[in-house]
Amino acid sequence: MDIYLPIAEVSVNAGILVLLGAVVGFISGLFGIGGGFLMTPILLWMGIPPVVAVASEANHVAASSASSVISYSRKRQVDFRMGGVLAAGGAVGALLGVEVFRWLRLMGQADLVVSLSYLIFLGLIGGLMLVESVGSVLRQRRGQPPAKRRDRRPVWLYGLPFKVRFPRSRLYISVIPPVILGIFVGILSAIMGVGGGFILVPAMVYILRMPAGVVVGTSLFQIIITTSLASILQAGRNQSVDIVLATLLLLGGVLGAQFGARASSRFRAEELRALLGLIVLIMGLQMGLVLFITPEDPFILVGSGK
Amino acid sequence: MVTPALPPPAIVAPEPGPTVSAALTDANVRVTSAFSGAQIVLYGAVFDPETRPSDVVVIVRGPDQPIRIARKVRVAGLWVNSRPVVFEGAPGFYMAASSRPLTEIASFSTLRRLGAGIDHLPMNAPEEERIETRYGVRDVVVSRLGGDYLEWRRAVIRLKEKASLYATDHEGVRFVDRGLFRAEIDLPTSAPIGEYQTEIILFQDGEPVSRRARTITVEKAGLERWLFLFANEQPWLYGIVSVLIALTSGWLASVVFRRR
Repeated sequence: MDIYLPIAEVSVNAGILVLLGAVVGFISGLFGIGGGFLMTPILLWMGIPPVVAVASEANHVAASSASSVISYSRKRQVDFRMGGVLAAGGAVGALLGVEVFRWLRLMGQADLVVSLSYLIFLGLIGGLMLVESVGSVLRQRRGQPPAKRRDRRPVWLYGLPFKVRFPRSRLYISVIPPVILGIFVGILSAIMGVGGGFILVPAMVYILRMPAGVVVGTSLFQIIITTSLASILQAGRNQSVDIVLATLLLLGGVLGAQFGARASSRFRAEELRALLGLIVLIMGLQMGLVLFITPEDPFILVGSGK
Repeated sequence: MVTPALPPPAIVAPEPGPTVSAALTDANVRVTSAFSGAQIVLYGAVFDPETRPSDVVVIVRGPDQPIRIARKVRVAGLWVNSRPVVFEGAPGFYMAASSRPLTEIASFSTLRRLGAGIDHLPMNAPEEERIETRYGVRDVVVSRLGGDYLEWRRAVIRLKEKASLYATDHEGVRFVDRGLFRAEIDLPTSAPIGEYQTEIILFQDGEPVSRRARTITVEKAGLERWLFLFANEQPWLYGIVSVLIALTSGWLASVVFRRR
């Protein structure tokens, strides 16, 4: 059934949107990520204007993250204090990001920055994840012990001022690194239409050295706050949230997320990471490809004067 | 004496000379959630006591919409957009249908004067223009696009045609019977909201001899209209409501699944 979206002003198949929401929601629940990095490019390929895709996707990510964060919090796997600090940074980042995106759109460079961000961030993180997890899967197969994790935390993490205790994460560190991380992810969430879980999760593991158990839940908690804010800001500043589009996506999304969270216990962590790394890498390369291919038409319409 | 009978009162001719008249099957297009474009049929008739050869041109012009267009340029091996050029005065939808190719119907200057045909759309890029004195002539309008102006303009038209928003149809006006013609107006899903000015021009010997104007209104209706107004008139409240819907449905799904 085709449905005309009131803000995007295009007609799309409603069934496909619900199904897409469910598939991406399943992946989101399976890996404990928002799934925005998958959904936003798909929406763009479906012909949804970039501004609307990015803004509505922030709304959808908020829904699927809310759906899975509750089960993580029941298992005491959310560090609310750390999440709050990250979200404070995320709020500043989202404010900045919405303004930056507005400006980029006026300069006609929104497409370029979106493609480049996908290529760089997804390519880099997907590649790293893939290499790291395939390595550990291979070591396991050969019966070798897992590579020793360097547990020594970097000195700069402790040398900075404004130290705060994070009991759930068993950390006593400065708030400056998580706030900066939050700002960075907030900007990305406004520009790329993603929650930023694919950056937050590795950063929390490798930079902040948080225990693996609380990483996913905390990242989802911060994503809810950042994407909710980004969504309100995009609606308020750019009038670009399509509530019909977001609702169709989250119908499938919240259900898929629940099934995905259940399925995740059937796989080993390394195999899941390898698979996620592969998906992230492919998405990044696919979005970046447009920068290298000679365009069919040298001219491009860059949005109406809206 | 028999007074001669008075001649019967002469029927007053409405207008000397040929006239054209036309009607639309649907002058009001409602954009609802089921909207997937619209086809409007225009019917018309040519009244000409002398039945001279007639040509009919139908021009549909949607609401003006500034166009932002960029050129892909290669920078350090990457294809990136140039700074966009804003064209003003271009309609968001434009269709020129005629019974013969426009260039055979009337001269260039006549078409230009009437703004008939895509090539005669008064599009310009005011931000790129500046007024200066050249060769001693004052107030010369110079465009920074220079000789490329035509290329940019052609690109606008090409891209709009690809999106089915601009169309030229040399056989779009068909005479179905003596003096009776019809034309079809296809509005794509992306057709802008607003008033569409439809002009029907009758040409004889290369001169416009009669004109009629009709208006098509494209407007959002029902839930679409309500949501669109909500999003634009109370954007902050709209944003908060959409986030609340998202968070509530996420929470509901997790509650429902926990019970199972």
